[in-house]
This record gives sequence, structure tokens and C-alpha cells, in this order.
Amino acid sequence: MPALAVALAREPIPRVREAMMTALIRIGNAASIEVLLPYLRSQEASVRAAAIEALQALPEAIAPFMSPLLNDGDSDVRLLATELARNMEASEATRLLCELIEHEHHPNVCAAAIDVLTEVGTPEALPTLERCSARFAATPFLPFAVSIAMSRISGEES
Amino acid sequence: MDDSKEGSSFAVHISPEQVQRFCEFLYRRTGMSFAESKRYFIDRRLEDRITATGSSSFQEYFSLLRADADQEIEHLINSFTVNETYFYREEHQLRCMTTSLLEAIVCQKKPGSTLRIWSIPCSTGEEPYSIALWLMENWPQVDSYNIEIVGSDIDTRALKAAAEGIYGDRALMRLSHDIIGRYFGPVTGGNHQIDEGLRNSIEFTRANLIDTKDMTQYRDFDLIFCRNVLIYFDDASRRLAAENLYDCLRPGGYICLGHSESMSRISPLFRVSRFPDAIVYQRPEADHG
Repeated sequence: MPALAVALAREPIPRVREAMMTALIRIGNAASIEVLLPYLRSQEASVRAAAIEALQALPEAIAPFMSPLLNDGDSDVRLLATELARNMEASEATRLLCELIEHEHHPNVCAAAIDVLTEVGTPEALPTLERCSARFAATPFLPFAVSIAMSRISGEES
Repeated sequence: MDDSKEGSSFAVHISPEQVQRFCEFLYRRTGMSFAESKRYFIDRRLEDRITATGSSSFQEYFSLLRADADQEIEHLINSFTVNETYFYREEHQLRCMTTSLLEAIVCQKKPGSTLRIWSIPCSTGEEPYSIALWLMENWPQVDSYNIEIVGSDIDTRALKAAAEGIYGDRALMRLSHDIIGRYFGPVTGGNHQIDEGLRNSIEFTRANLIDTKDMTQYRDFDLIFCRNVLIYFDDASRRLAAENLYDCLRPGGYICLGHSESMSRISPLFRVSRFPDAIVYQRPEADHG
């Protein structure tokens, strides 16, 4: 694993980087996650996207890393981490994203979390979403996103 | 999967919001997209799957689907797609092959050189035979190159049927009487067997798209038809399949996918190529760091 991590860090050819990331997905353990996580902070969008895609393919292995990621000091990392919840089990994804939304100040991070909840959220998310809508009343796109999410989760028209 | 409850009268109410949620998931997961006008079609199949899985609500079914319990995604896709395979299916891609792709491929080849085409998965052979027929009927340069067509599938029973080349009327519904008359002969049961020369011209082999070791024996293809299979794979398998397909293509070679699939969602390795008849994906001529 250390050898693969070093090789990935040095590899300039996208096709080979892809293969290395696929190998990490196939290994699929905590060590794979630890190799992939630093790429969430890459300055290159394509590298960040590749890391997200690879990490999303490992919903069980990523679970223990989610809380630290969703509490990271960098709002970009928190925003990307919300996407990792998308393939997780619905109740766990809902719990993690609601915890984030309850204390998150950055509207874009909240919006990203709401977008994921729109697809995977369970009814337990509804109170958190209501509070989020009230808290960000002055940021119109957020109450709008919340209303969509709530209607999809509850199965009722907004 | 126990489908014993399929067709029962048990009915589950599904709201428009739930259908929307389902459609967004389906699109993200498979690339399949349905317009609002297809609402009845979606509702019916969704209700069938909810009933077949014994789910008591949309919510329960959706959780099961997301977790892909008992390979529910495969069952769902099967219920939404036409599994039937027949000659000249997705004809626009065959037309694209002879009007655009082969011209681009052979401009770098000398007359007499080999042109390799791969149909994977080939199921019971309709696709590789369609490729051969289409080339003979529509490509004036067909005799100028040594064309190798390989049909591969993971299912050895399907491969045996492909090698036999016997088909019913439904499989031939898109072919003209003239073509049927020239390339098929009658066999028992009102079926038709494809001409022996054509049967012998195609090599049928077993292959597993996500077995990298298995795939190393398939190299240097100029054109691959890989239709309606990647949508069944999970993310990790799809990545692996895309990488294996990349390695099987010559640099500059093309791959044709099914109409709801997109290689750009699967792998950044390929370049999108838009032609008048179809959108296909190309392995770049060279890897650039």
C-alpha cells in the first residue's frame, strides 16, 4: 500500500492514475481511504473529482472517516465530503448530514448536503431541514432547496 | 430474488415526488432518463418491483434499491429495458460505423491490413452477425481489408447458440426479405440458420469484462461494440470494465455503447466523438501526461 501511495503521488499519466485508483477501490480498506483522502485537497479539479469518485465507491470503508471530514476546517473539503454520503446507507447518511447542517455556517456546504439528502434522506431529516430553512431565510436559494428536499423525502408536494 | 409475488393485486401508492426521487436516482446510477410523458410506464414498473420484492412502501423499496439488495438494480433495469436482441438493433450505430468510423480508422491502414471488430457482450450472436451483414451490404471497401469479427460473452450457453446461428422470425424482423434470402437458410421449426460462411467468419469466445487477466488476451481492436451492459455494473466494476476496454482498443480506436450509457460518466480515459449518426467514444491516439 505505501508503494502504491507513493506511485500515485508521482504518476503524471491520467490513464495510469485511474488504474491505481481502481486498484485502491478493489483493495477497499481503511488504508485505501487514507491514500485517497489527501487528494480531496488537490488544487486540480480533475484530481479532486477522481478522488471523490473513488471514495464514493467505498461507502462502508469511508464511514469511520466521515465525521472528521464533515468537521474539517476547510469548507471545500466539507462540501466534497457531503457527496461521499450519497452512496452510504440512508439512515447513516441522514444522521451525518443532519449533524453537519445543524452547525454549518457556509450556505454552499449546506446546499450540497441538502442536495444529497434530497436523494437519500429519511424523514428524520425533516426537522433539521426546517431549522436550516429558517436559519438561512435571507439566502433564498436555501429555503427553496429545502422545500424540494422536504417534498421528496416526505413524498408530499411542497 | 423471489419474484413469486409478481403480478399480485397488492398496490402501493407512489406520489409524484417519490417518482421524481426515483428517476433522479435511476439517472445518476444508470444514465436512463424518462420524460414526464412516460409517467405511466414508470409507475407500472415501479409498482411491479415494489410488489415483487415484498416491500410495503416506496420508501422501503427505495432503501432496498439503493443498497442493491438481492441485485435489485439488475432486476429493475431489466424491467425498464427491452431485453430482446435482434438483427440490426440500434441501426444508427451500424450506419455510423460504415459512414464515419471505418473511414477514420482505415485512413491509417494500408489496404489488405487487418481490421478488428469486437462485439461484447454478444449474447446469442445477433450483434456480431449484424456487423458482418451490414459491412457486406453497406461498405464498399469490405473486400479491401482483412476483417476479423470477434463475439464474446460471459455466458457459454449463449455462445453455443451464437455459433449455431439459428434464429426465429422476431430476431430477423428488421432484415429485408432479400437479405434473409441471401444469408439465411430454413431449418426445422420455421427458424432460419445463418449462412455457414458467415458462421465460420466470426470467432466466438468467452470473456469477462471485469476480469483484467482474462481481458489481456483481447488486444488491438479498432472498434468495440459494448452495448447495454455497463449500466448493470456498480461504480467499481464499471471503472474496471472501462479500463479493460481501453486496453483492448488500439490507440485511436472507437467504442460504441448503448443509448443510455455514457463513457464520460464512467471514465475520463476516453474522448467523446460526435458523428452525424451516433456519439461514440475514442481512445486517444496517445497518452499525454
